Amino acid sequence: MLSQAMFPWLLLTAAFLFTLGALGVLIRRNPLVVFMCIELMLNAVNLALVGYSSYLNSEEGQVFAFMVIVVAAAEVVVGLGLLTRVFSIGRELDVDDLDEMKQ
Amino acid sequence: MNVLLAILLILAAISALGVVFSAQTIYSALSLVLTVGLLAVVFLVLNAQFLFVVQLIVYAGAVMVLFVFIIALLDPAAEDRPRLLDLRLILGVLAVAGLCTAVFIAARNNVTYDTSCTSQAATCMHGYTVGSLAATGDTTADPFHTFGFPQAAVNQAGNVQTVANQLFHTYVLPFEITSLLLLVAAIGAVYLTRRAAVGPKRDPQAEQRWKDDLVEGIE
Repeated sequence: MLSQAMFPWLLLTAAFLFTLGALGVLIRRNPLVVFMCIELMLNAVNLALVGYSSYLNSEEGQVFAFMVIVVAAAEVVVGLGLLTRVFSIGRELDVDDLDEMKQ
Repeated sequence: MNVLLAILLILAAISALGVVFSAQTIYSALSLVLTVGLLAVVFLVLNAQFLFVVQLIVYAGAVMVLFVFIIALLDPAAEDRPRLLDLRLILGVLAVAGLCTAVFIAARNNVTYDTSCTSQAATCMHGYTVGSLAATGDTTADPFHTFGFPQAAVNQAGNVQTVANQLFHTYVLPFEITSLLLLVAAIGAVYLTRRAAVGPKRDPQAEQRWKDDLVEGIE
C-alpha cells in the first residue's frame, strides 16, 4: 500500500523517466538508443500504472501494465528486425540519414 | 518502506540518465538493464509480485538480451557527443523540467478521479476533485480509494491469482488480442529479416582462393 506522502514522488519519477525518454528520442542519432529510449518511456508509464494501482487499491493498473509490456516486446521485435534489415543493405545506423519516408 | 522506495526511485532516475547520455550504445543498454531491474524491485515494493516477475523475465530476460545481441551483431560506432546546445536539446530539457513540475504540483494537490464528487463544491470539476485532502486535512474519509478494498484483502488469494482473475474474466478479450499482436509481430519480424538471412551470392572462385590460402598457410 503506497503512502500518501510517497505517491507524488513516484509520479514525479515516472514523469521524469518519460520525459527523459522523449528527450533521448529527440537528441540521439543511433536508432538502437532511440529504441531504448522508447522502452524507457513505456517503463515510465508502467511505473505510473502500478503506482496508481497500489495507491487506489485496484488490480486493474497491473493488468494494463501487463498489456504495455506485451506491446513493448512486440515493438522491440519488429523494430530490431527493421534495424538489422537496414544494416544488411549497407546503410549507416543514423536516424538523420534514414529520412526517405519524409519525401 | 518509504525510504526503500525513495532510494529505488532515485537510483532508477540516475540510471535512466545513463541511458540517454552514454556515448557508447552498450553502456546505454546496460543502464537500461539497471533501470528495468530497479523498476522491477519498485513493483515488488508496491505489492505487484506478478508484474515483478513478468518485468524481469520479459524485459531483463528477453528484450534486453535481444538489444545486447543486436548491438553485438551490428557493432554501432560510438556517437560524437550528441548535439550539445542544440535547439532540440534545450527545448527537450525545458519540456522535462516543465512536465515534471506540472505532474508534481498536480499530484501534491491531489488531482484524482473521485466518483463520489458532487457538484456543489467549487473544487469539483467534471468528477475531478482538486485539493480536497489538502483542504480538509481529513485522511479518514479518503475519497481517493474509490475501490474501497485494502490491498491486503484484494491480494488475499495472492497477487498472481487476483491479476489472473482480472485478466481472464474482466479483460479476457484484450488479453486474447495481445496474442494476435504477438503473432503479427513474429510474422513481421520473420518477413523483415527473411532476405537478409540468405546472405550474398556464393562465389566459387573466391572460395577456392580462400581454400588455397588456407592450405598455403598450413604448409
